[in-house]
Amino acid sequence: MKSKLTTLEDAVRRVPSGSSIALGGSILRRQPMAFVREMIRQGKRDLTIFGYPCGLATDMLAGVGAVKRVEAVYTGLFQFGMSYNFRHAVENGELEIKDYPEVAQAARYQAAAMNIDFIVTKDLLGTGMAKYNPEDIVEMVSPFTGEKYHAVKAAKTDFTILHEYVADEYGNVQWPDHWDADDLDMLMAKASKRLIVTVEKIVPHNQITSQPNRTFIPHSWVEAVIEVPFGAHPAPCDAFYDEDDAHMEIYQSLSREPGRWRKEYAEKYIYGPKDHWEYLDTSLTPSRMARLIVR
Amino acid sequence: MAFYTCNELMAAATARELRDNELGFIGVGTDGRAYTLAVGIPMVAARLAQLSHAPNFTIFWNNLLSPKLDEIPPYLTQDYLTKWPCAFQPVTCEDKNEMLASERFDVSFDSAPQIDRFGNMNITAIGDYKKPKVRLVGCLAQPDHFAFVKRPIILTDLKRRTFIEKVDFITSVGYLDGGDSRIRAGLRPYGPWKVITDKCILNFDNENKEMQLESLHPGVTLEEVLDHMGFRPRIPEKIATTMEPTKEQVRVIRESIDPNHSLLRA
Repeated sequence: MKSKLTTLEDAVRRVPSGSSIALGGSILRRQPMAFVREMIRQGKRDLTIFGYPCGLATDMLAGVGAVKRVEAVYTGLFQFGMSYNFRHAVENGELEIKDYPEVAQAARYQAAAMNIDFIVTKDLLGTGMAKYNPEDIVEMVSPFTGEKYHAVKAAKTDFTILHEYVADEYGNVQWPDHWDADDLDMLMAKASKRLIVTVEKIVPHNQITSQPNRTFIPHSWVEAVIEVPFGAHPAPCDAFYDEDDAHMEIYQSLSREPGRWRKEYAEKYIYGPKDHWEYLDTSLTPSRMARLIVR
Repeated sequence: MAFYTCNELMAAATARELRDNELGFIGVGTDGRAYTLAVGIPMVAARLAQLSHAPNFTIFWNNLLSPKLDEIPPYLTQDYLTKWPCAFQPVTCEDKNEMLASERFDVSFDSAPQIDRFGNMNITAIGDYKKPKVRLVGCLAQPDHFAFVKRPIILTDLKRRTFIEKVDFITSVGYLDGGDSRIRAGLRPYGPWKVITDKCILNFDNENKEMQLESLHPGVTLEEVLDHMGFRPRIPEKIATTMEPTKEQVRVIRESIDPNHSLLRA
């Protein structure tokens, strides 16, 4: 095994503008926010984002005009409301969207993991999603029973970016005691071509080998691993810290008006800090951090 | 003054539709009223059902199968979700999707800003799909609920702009164009079961699969209901009145199920 440790700046430099990227996590939980802020600082553009439910990461990228297309089951911010940056971009015709329901979207990652071109599903029959996307959703009949299905394209992407709990320097990623896996991170990892993982903490290799059944992403799938504490902030990382609701309220109040978020939020929290450490100094105080940490 | 709120009446009415030993799916609601309709009322209804006629009714919510509904957390922030006691917390979403596709769910709870005469729903886009007037949240698993769940229950406020002749975009297929068109499209012979609103309850007639009035909430007139709909539903000769929640149900909701108003909050 070889060390895959690197810096956030180096890992982001590997992802060119125009790439298709699967973003892990779900809505808020474990969104790779530090990675996304660095992508924005490096000026990445024309991105195609694949998600399961998309949320804060996609909204931020859409807010700076970096997204060309989104393929997901949802884009929103759950208890904090609509995803306004994303929404404005779609309503202005600047962002193309391909909507899929959950069973179909998960199947598309499954197909990519199996290295096949397409997979079949029954949850698009009669829907607008199928009607408006005839390139990627094609009606067919079962050669065995004659029943109707849709063939849907595999979700193959250039890169997969995940934010997780702990890993060793080789990229063996493990679960903590309690976690909330309401996402497709493990499947997205299996389906990836080039997988970059940020984690809350790099742990000694012998901690991994003493409990190998906790490893859900093994080193052989991983291209790069980076230690980024509070890497999902202001979204939560289950088992580490909760959502920063005060920060999210600021985010939402500024993103409701197009233009204002870019000037007041993006300048202060994304472009202003030169790296993730300066971001933490800008957005968190020690007492706030202590309150967000979960035990 | 009634001794109950409209949300409490909707929760009690929803509870009556739940049967013992059934499994229900509760989805995600984004903010405010949508959250109360999609998450809050179903959660209260599930617990009310457990406490009366359906002690073995259980739910799948977020990533939790059979969370303890006598220990609903005071806030639904991430850490409360992570640690809410439950029977099963799968290590990937694929399990839930496979449970849906293999038709293991009896009921689901769904809400939308647009719904038509045949129970088709739109949570994706208002106006032109490619350049919408209002972009909504997308799909989530709602199309899966309508494709694979036996009796999806719709919870939506009665509004003229919500109940319209034809939805702008079909996210979730109800009875499509009515009659047997849903079956002809290749879907299972399920489809939406009831529509529980803030003014009345509607269902779908057996033959045409058209929306029809079932009962008016106490104090609501037929005129008022028709005023709040963009199409005229079928009206039966005799219209029932929706049962009020009992005093005991209201007490249990306020004292033990939802003392912080975190569920019935908007």
